[in-house]
Amino acid sequence: MKIRFKLNGREIEAEVEPNTLLLNLLREHLHLTGAKYGCGIGECGACTVLLDGEPILSCLTLAVEVDGREVTTIEGLARDGELHPLQRAFLEEGAVQCGFCTPGMILTAKALLDENPNPSEDEIREYLKGNLCRCTGYVNIVKAVKRAAEEMRG
Amino acid sequence: MRQSFRFIGRSTPRMDGVAKVTGREIYASDIYLPDMLYARVLKSPYPHARVKHIDVSGAERLGAVVVTYRDVPDVVYCPRLVSTPEATYKDWRVLTGKPLYVGDPIAAVAAESEELAQRALEAIEVEFEVLEPSFDPLESMRPGKPLLHERIRYMGEEVEVENNIACTMEIEQGDVERGFEEADVVLEREYRTNRRYHCQLEPKTAVVRPEPGGGVTIWTTTQSIHNTRLLIHEIFGIPVGKINVVKTALGGSFGSSIQTNIVVPIAVALALKARKPVRLAYTREEDLHEHCAYQMIFRLKLGARRDGRLTAGSLEAILDIGAHQIQAYPLLGCLVGWWVSLYKLPNLRYVGKAVYTNKVPSCAMRGYGNPQITWAVESLMDELAEELGLDPLEFKLLNHVGLGDLFWGQGPTVKSIIKSSGVEELVRRGAKLIGWDKRPKPGAQRGRYRRGIGFGRGFHTSSAGAPVPGTVVDYTGAMLKVNEDGTLDYITAMMDCGGGTLTAHAKIIAEEIGVPLECVNIVRADTQTTLYDVCTHASRGVYAGGAAALQVAREVKRKLLELAARVLDAYPHALKIRPDEKRGQGVIYVEGVEGREITIGELASMARHKNWGTIAAVASVRQGSCPPHFTAYFVEVEVDTETGKVRPVRVVAGADVGRVINPKLAEGQIHGGFAMGWSMALLEDTPYDPRSGDLLNKGFITDYKIPTAGDLPSLEDFQVFFVETEEPTGPFGAKGLGEGALNPVAGAIANAIYNAIGVRFYELPITPDKILKALKGGERR
Amino acid sequence: MSLWINRIDTHILPINFQYHAPETLEEALKLLAEYGDEAKILSGGTDLLVKMKQRLIEPRHIISLRNLTELRGISEVEGGIHIGAATKLREIERSQIIAERLPLLHEAVKAIGSIQIRNMGTIGGNLCNASPAADSAVALMTLGAELHAQSIEGERIIPIEDFFKGPGVTALKPVELLTAIRIPPPPENYGWAFMKIGRTSLDIATVNAAVLLTLRGGRIDLCRIALGAVAPTPVRAVRAEEHLRGREPTPELIQEASELVVEDISPITDVRGTAEYRVEASKALVRDALKLSIERAGGGGR
Repeated sequence: MKIRFKLNGREIEAEVEPNTLLLNLLREHLHLTGAKYGCGIGECGACTVLLDGEPILSCLTLAVEVDGREVTTIEGLARDGELHPLQRAFLEEGAVQCGFCTPGMILTAKALLDENPNPSEDEIREYLKGNLCRCTGYVNIVKAVKRAAEEMRG
Repeated sequence: MRQSFRFIGRSTPRMDGVAKVTGREIYASDIYLPDMLYARVLKSPYPHARVKHIDVSGAERLGAVVVTYRDVPDVVYCPRLVSTPEATYKDWRVLTGKPLYVGDPIAAVAAESEELAQRALEAIEVEFEVLEPSFDPLESMRPGKPLLHERIRYMGEEVEVENNIACTMEIEQGDVERGFEEADVVLEREYRTNRRYHCQLEPKTAVVRPEPGGGVTIWTTTQSIHNTRLLIHEIFGIPVGKINVVKTALGGSFGSSIQTNIVVPIAVALALKARKPVRLAYTREEDLHEHCAYQMIFRLKLGARRDGRLTAGSLEAILDIGAHQIQAYPLLGCLVGWWVSLYKLPNLRYVGKAVYTNKVPSCAMRGYGNPQITWAVESLMDELAEELGLDPLEFKLLNHVGLGDLFWGQGPTVKSIIKSSGVEELVRRGAKLIGWDKRPKPGAQRGRYRRGIGFGRGFHTSSAGAPVPGTVVDYTGAMLKVNEDGTLDYITAMMDCGGGTLTAHAKIIAEEIGVPLECVNIVRADTQTTLYDVCTHASRGVYAGGAAALQVAREVKRKLLELAARVLDAYPHALKIRPDEKRGQGVIYVEGVEGREITIGELASMARHKNWGTIAAVASVRQGSCPPHFTAYFVEVEVDTETGKVRPVRVVAGADVGRVINPKLAEGQIHGGFAMGWSMALLEDTPYDPRSGDLLNKGFITDYKIPTAGDLPSLEDFQVFFVETEEPTGPFGAKGLGEGALNPVAGAIANAIYNAIGVRFYELPITPDKILKALKGGERR
Repeated sequence: MSLWINRIDTHILPINFQYHAPETLEEALKLLAEYGDEAKILSGGTDLLVKMKQRLIEPRHIISLRNLTELRGISEVEGGIHIGAATKLREIERSQIIAERLPLLHEAVKAIGSIQIRNMGTIGGNLCNASPAADSAVALMTLGAELHAQSIEGERIIPIEDFFKGPGVTALKPVELLTAIRIPPPPENYGWAFMKIGRTSLDIATVNAAVLLTLRGGRIDLCRIALGAVAPTPVRAVRAEEHLRGREPTPELIQEASELVVEDISPITDVRGTAEYRVEASKALVRDALKLSIERAGGGGR
């Protein structure tokens, strides 16, 4: 089946099977390995991408279902080589350790800040609870999101 | 006092950070090669069985390449190569005809797509003879129980296994019986830990490409590229030089890839047969059947006099190691080491037994048995203090193994004297910050929500270095060369598991030589271009690996100054190097003489033009000790006595890690250690279904819970502080941190729960169910 | 023996099926009529794809509701509030109407999974998955929701009480599609509560509970209590409700009622919790939910 969708700002076309998962389309066919397989059943959030701006699980999404829509992966976040404030904040706050959860975490955080530019700590924690991290205990991640929010509010 | 530092002690972003936040970092599971086959593994559905017949023709008809236990080299091995042969029993094969747990690999297939591979896998037919399994170590040890392994290998010989006991260790010092007689109070308790799972975010993966000359290139989730290489050589007989294991980023590990994961030899076997690259990526549910932490049963006895002095201790430890040994013998040694290095025991007896069961093989998990035994010791010390009418803090401080004391570190073969300790200050400052004096009396509260404060202290070694060779391999190689623009290539085999190890090395190098941090380029290296490094484990990355980095930096600096002296017409010892941020490199100058200077880039270019050769250094460094880094946790919890739920209220965590190299990342270790300890105490376990022999959660993390961002204390309720000491043997005075960050957490939480509700728990995890049951029982009493 | 260990590969969806994305409801119903048992409705996929990956179901046809905009949306209609079955959980969570008129549903929906799950999952999917632990189900049970099911034969309305038949089993016929949820206008000045216990903040409920009640003259009038994960389907705690009705809500009464909960539940022991724990937790949740509901209904102040 042929699908067309916008990927990181560019229109693309892909040939997929009905049972092709979005995660595998991105990683294996489009060579965007930023979204990770962590559990395959929607528990860990490592495969998170944005679909029309909203975080979703690409391991539980049929590729055919994104036809006509817009997908953003971590690779599409930095603009013209300029890091997104969240990416900078994750670096500065030491919010990255092994980094395997980082792409999903940053994308979820982006969706949060897009809808709520000034989230409380509780709101941040609530919003991020679908992205598991085994390294950081989330402390520096929460700090990074707060810092990015401040910066983005100006 | 040293001069102030430019990089050491200041927070700097990790050097692989940009790649990680942009999704550009490459992990083993991100490797896809042209013409690559996808592999799947046929796993035993029985916990104990013998394959009577296997028919792979169905899979082959689908076009899959198949290997079974009959096709792999007849080599019995141990996948962990950290300890020496004297401390290693071997009982593994690449694939098995006698599976010992549900999930044990029997055969494997490779095909052009994962879907086809999966279909081929399902087309394999196997007939089993079902054998009696054993899931409990005490059961397993009973005479007459079926043996998992009849014979295993040790130092090239076959040895018989008795009663499923994989290995044992006994140690006695002093006169234990007399020691207990001298005690005014003696307490003896049995503790059972949980069977945790590492739950590292990246499941185990191997991608193997056969090379034209008969070699292989391997990308895999590993904490040691060189040990992976040596193991593949041992199993397949491929010359070491033709095996190249390439470093990739590692999506967490926590000890689960100290050993070479089973995916590696299986993928090698498939790739050799298929003559094509093979990718074997485990799914999460397979990963849950690949490794877990050691579950332990302790019988712990401690005696103390009224004045608070411990007189004797005895520990019987039974380790449920699952179906195989991943160097369980060294663990028996470490376990006694952890135990006796917490508190001074003038008389002691230890019996450790590692026992086979038909369960997933256990391996190291952050702390290597230390979190388990520290939970038990910190709990019992708390009890003892109460019996003696002493403040647990004072009781523990009085008896703790500290400055100038003999430290067993990594077990009886690795002993050294402690040369830096911030224990007392950790305890005093932590107590003040949490308000220890205001904590309630245990069990005195009524009402639904009850709060309690608990204290736990601990340590871990930094590396497994020692003044004598011992039975643990522990050294690290490093190379450093100066490029023609003044940048430096730093080449090491050491892995960064996420802790920021290599960033710390870069800081050590930049500090020592005097170049901007950005000048240090951490090379994505492989086994062919690096010196041996044993492994990133044992909290050795900064202390032991950093020592190698420091040594090559010193050597390079010496050479730089020597050459610069020629050019600047000055004496080498009169030269200095300063990082020049504007020029983006180091500048060598004559102190006090204006204008007499040269950049490192100019010097390196000159060295090229004048054919002086590359300015470089190589070192292979062994640390002569493994100093303990210390931690202290004060945790306040709130127990809901109607639902049994425990909530973290406040955490104060202190650490003595010697000199702090990178504060924010160091704090991150503590944050992560607490989170892991929190769920060790309260959540994590992998129980088995006694009928099927499989994991009750079937490998799905739907039912293996780790904390989310919503389960841990808020930012202002989590306080971390460092007590800086200077470890004389550490690079810039630094020690390790990764494991000490976890070790005392469960003990502190257990003590906090006791403080809140007056009930002690002797089995982990302390679930809401157990809490409600205990409270009900208590009310009846 | 493990029957599944070699059949599951969660990297992929190792099942071949035909994918249909009908443009109209009529078309969808025709497809259902044609394929019936062999078809599964895809409306979010967070449960369906997991079950397929776990090889619990292997449908030959997948009928996606992605193009059926008529099945989406929240509106106030005569006879209550209408929610299209294919409305995303996130949309319900963000809906002003729901937040104001049905805060109980708002809270229950917020308790489902993660942001990602709620961006994908739909209310109809959550119900048709028929998990005994479904968070939306207990809320909708106390709200007296009616479920609209359509087939090419026509429409029928199923009271939510009659909808769940067992774990994963509903009253829907294979040819029927859940199209909408209709919630009657809640009574004036009602009190409500939704409560959930999980092992972590992101979990399938070990136990969940919803309460809706009203007070009249200081006494409990209308009273509905529903519990999840304590029986093969979400259940009403009828005995407790009866005990409360017409009485003054004293702490003693609440305690008695919570004890009566055990009469209507039949929890099992599984990896998420023991049966004994579920009993105790049910009582505690119902106590808490009743107290909060009474407070919200303007009573007690305790």
